[in-house]
Amino acid sequence: MALIELKTVSKIYTLGSQEVIAVKDFSLQLEKGEFCVLAGPSGSGKTTLLNLIGCLDQPSAGEVWLEGRNVATVPAKELAAIRLNKIGFIFQSYNLIPVLTAAENAEFTLMLQGMDKKVRREKVRRWFVDLGLEGLEERKPSDLSGGQQQRVAIARAMASDPAVILADEPTANLDSQTSEELLAVMQRLNEERGATFVFSSHDPLVIAHGKRVVRLVDGHLESDQCVS
Amino acid sequence: MDLLNLAWKNLWRNRRRTLITLSALCFSLMLIQGSHNLSHGVYSSMIDSGVRAGSGHLVVYQQDYLATRDEKLSFAPRDLSAEIGRIAGVQSVLPRIYLPGLAQSSRESRGILLTGVDPVVEKAVNPFLKRLPADEWLSSDDGREAILGSLLLKELKLKLGNKFVVTMQHRSGELVSEMFRVHGVVQTGIKGIDKTLLMVGRERAAALVGMDGEIHELALMLTDQTADNSVRPQLNALLQGRSDIRGYSWEEAMPNLYNAIRLDYASSNFIFIIMLLIVTIGVINTLLMSVMERFREFGVILAVGASAMRLRLLIIIEALLLGLVSMVFGTLLGSLLTWYLVAKGIDMRNFVSESLEFGGVVFDPIMRAAWDPLWMVKISFYLLLLALLAAIYPSIKAGKISPAAAMRHY
Ligand SMILES: Nc1ncnc2c1ncn2[C@@H]1O[C@H](COP(=O)(O)OP(=O)(O)OP(=O)(O)O)[C@@H](O)[C@H]1O
Ligand SMILES: [Mg+2]
Repeated sequence: MALIELKTVSKIYTLGSQEVIAVKDFSLQLEKGEFCVLAGPSGSGKTTLLNLIGCLDQPSAGEVWLEGRNVATVPAKELAAIRLNKIGFIFQSYNLIPVLTAAENAEFTLMLQGMDKKVRREKVRRWFVDLGLEGLEERKPSDLSGGQQQRVAIARAMASDPAVILADEPTANLDSQTSEELLAVMQRLNEERGATFVFSSHDPLVIAHGKRVVRLVDGHLESDQCVS
Repeated sequence: MDLLNLAWKNLWRNRRRTLITLSALCFSLMLIQGSHNLSHGVYSSMIDSGVRAGSGHLVVYQQDYLATRDEKLSFAPRDLSAEIGRIAGVQSVLPRIYLPGLAQSSRESRGILLTGVDPVVEKAVNPFLKRLPADEWLSSDDGREAILGSLLLKELKLKLGNKFVVTMQHRSGELVSEMFRVHGVVQTGIKGIDKTLLMVGRERAAALVGMDGEIHELALMLTDQTADNSVRPQLNALLQGRSDIRGYSWEEAMPNLYNAIRLDYASSNFIFIIMLLIVTIGVINTLLMSVMERFREFGVILAVGASAMRLRLLIIIEALLLGLVSMVFGTLLGSLLTWYLVAKGIDMRNFVSESLEFGGVVFDPIMRAAWDPLWMVKISFYLLLLALLAAIYPSIKAGKISPAAAMRHY
């Protein structure tokens, strides 16, 4: 059983009388422990696809299966719980809640899960050590660099032990040096801890880090290669 | 608890806007509480002087007297006065007689209301008599001394010590006349009273019309207004054996005063409601704006797994905190204002020169507030409730956010 399976998924947006086909008949299987990049130019449907995988959006046609469950059959209320427990999210920017400190942001999903304050404090502290964020616990997001903010977002995503972490252009707002560092962190988490990552990018340097590269053009699957 | 923490922090992210909203809430609560306490104080003193000058907190009449004011409807109190006087909470019991008649001086004649009172108890209670010098007050129950209203005195062209004649109808139907002497003058400020008041000893008045031992009114002064609840049932028990008489509250006995006060409370409540509505709209605006500004952030919060319910709850908690803070500070300010209005009051003599009459009662030209803590608490809870109501629409709006759309568009 695949961790995630997209079965001829389409997503069509209607803008007035115009139909925009963002994703067309897309099929994909993702296994546990993958480090997969969705590559494609702007407008090729990367965000749309990640939103479908992350249960943030419903497909217009086709099915999304998560751990053997058809997401379409999951009641709307339970979707939030699935996102909370199964999926970690990292977005391009403004990932964090500005009024909360870095540590509180990283604890946010654990808080939603109802974890005891002390336990999650400790858990996040260890993630901060692991991700090189030590000493930044009490900083507000606005007082962190872009790379630090993204690492806090990784801490938040990793802390709740999700089945998969979805990252939509996590490095788009970072310089190349910081991007490399962030990717190295993700790669290490994938190798050391077996964390499953699916991230998108249009940057060849970033795409080069993917162990599996899924290329998108105009919402179609163009190629799906495993890089060894 | 963590949601509470987040809500509190969110409240202060736009400090200025929150402070403006808070001050609108606090100041309106302050004004509402202050002005209610002021009316409460003015009305309490008005009720107090009204009951003192009028028919008391509770009053006993012959069954039909209140409706007709027919002087034939008198009753014999027998030992009722003494029995009522023993009820805890009753300060004094005042038997009175009211007889319409005609007063004639050597030069003029005027219609009057002869009021027969027990001089000793009456003097202690009636606020208008307090100002009367001791030597001008009636010295006995059955003397020829009379206290006149100031306008009556003027119209009859009498002076202190002058004699005049009062004519009225005897029980038997004949007209009877009696000579009295002006012994004192009172000025209540109420024209109707000052023009017709003629106060004499009760026994003299009763003897004049042949109703010895009978009275029209038995007024009860209580130690304080709230004693009403405990005294009323005991009074009713005492009156049970007597089908000819009935006990009334001051509200029943003085419907003019009671209705005037009720009307004024109703109109100020109406103003309060409008004030609260206006600030509620302000709160809705603040909450809605703060929700709109955070669409993207809410998208992230929903995406990482918060349920729509939690998001709605967050908005409601934000409103709750806003409401709680203004409840506390508004009540604090309201208490300060009340404290000032209790201690200093508002001197109405700066605004109006004549004496102030309201519902047939003259009130103190210095308006003073009185604490009505229960009401203050009640209205502050209303404010909290309104803040929560104001959160409904914004929270529904937040709950409807689609995370994918929110992050794409904001
Ligand atoms: N809500 C929407 N309404 C209408 N059209 C949409 C909507 N969302 C996306 N699209 C369209 O769907 C297509 C795919 O968009 P998507 O955002 O998934 O691309 P992307 O690969 O993430 O692009 P980028 O690299 O610029 O982020 C685009 O043509 C876009 O205009
Ligand atoms: Mg995109």
